[in-house]
Amino acid sequence: MDPKTAVGFLLPLAVGVAALGSGLGLGRAVGAAMEAMGRQPEAAGKIQTAMIIGAAFIEALTIYALVAVILIK
Amino acid sequence: MIRLLIPLLLAIGQTAQEPAIDSASMVIEKSSGQTASHDTGVTAEQSSEQGIGETAEHATNQATGHTAGPTAGHGEESAPPPELPNIIEIIHLKYKNRLTDFLFAWRLVIFSSIVWLVLGFMAFIVFRKRTLIPGPLQNFLEWVVEMLSNMVVSILGDEGRRYVPFVGTLFMYIFCMNIMGLIPGFFSSTSKLNTTLALALCVFLYVQFTGIRNFGPLGYIYHLAGSPKSVVEWCLVWLNFPLHIIGELAKPLSLSLRLFGNIAGEDMLLAIFVILGVSVMSFMHLPIGLPLHLPFIFLALLTSFVQALVFALLATIYFSLMSHHEEESH
Repeated sequence: MDPKTAVGFLLPLAVGVAALGSGLGLGRAVGAAMEAMGRQPEAAGKIQTAMIIGAAFIEALTIYALVAVILIK
Repeated sequence: MIRLLIPLLLAIGQTAQEPAIDSASMVIEKSSGQTASHDTGVTAEQSSEQGIGETAEHATNQATGHTAGPTAGHGEESAPPPELPNIIEIIHLKYKNRLTDFLFAWRLVIFSSIVWLVLGFMAFIVFRKRTLIPGPLQNFLEWVVEMLSNMVVSILGDEGRRYVPFVGTLFMYIFCMNIMGLIPGFFSSTSKLNTTLALALCVFLYVQFTGIRNFGPLGYIYHLAGSPKSVVEWCLVWLNFPLHIIGELAKPLSLSLRLFGNIAGEDMLLAIFVILGVSVMSFMHLPIGLPLHLPFIFLALLTSFVQALVFALLATIYFSLMSHHEEESH
């Protein structure tokens, strides 16, 4: 396998691995937020804001991988 | 941190040396990259102009050649990512002169200027004719402003009201730029790192200015050193200080890269599915395609909104980190 093939093969895989991690993290975060909202519906607004910020941080990791892949390609 | 810096440096280098003509022929060139091997006599410029002339059909034929071998691209040098054509690009491809060259080089600024002109015009009209019983437009704008104001105040408290104009403008500006990519013939300026980096630098500078204003110059350095109080904390200043500085520098980086990556990825996804939709219908030789990208438009709407919201929210959070009453939030 020449280097270019290896890169073409591995770069999408890298995004996939990053997305796997983010997906697990997002699942936990959103699940916990939903549970909290269910327990305290009156605090739903605040929880949602915090959840979106956290989700953005988690999601950013995948986006970094995506940006790196786009730039390295 | 270093891992974060590398793509940024790469990106800056890439955008700096990106020749105008090269990216001009984006979609068509890209798909014609494969067919260029067929008709070697035709230069790249000619083939791209041809492609623009008879947009759908030509692109279709090229796209089918493209889809025949999914891994065909890896042998050649990497093509730029697919992107839907916009008005300025098409004009630039059709009529090449100095004016269109200029327009093309400044397309990010032009498309973002359209956004602020429209927003400003709307605000101007409403402000000129404001009434106690609001009309539809005034009602809508009041609702938007109230929502943004509530969002900022819920995080920063009542004294955060002074950041509402900045954060609210950021949100509306970024949101409009994001959804601009969904309008045919336009593209979102935020799908290029230049725009997002500029926005993030604005936030960064304003946040640092706020810190200096709130704490004073010495207090600002004290804050960056982690606000040491006990002897142990004073002993750890040499560790805390660089960490805080790196943390501050990472903020604009992560802000800009997040917005850029999300919007660029979303637009790329749309472009790929448009190309797929066109190439699926190519056997009929009609200038139409299947709207395969339809579900992703809704996804793109969601992403546009969430990313604009996240940008504004994070700016608010950075302001809250730089104000007095939230010392514990590190």
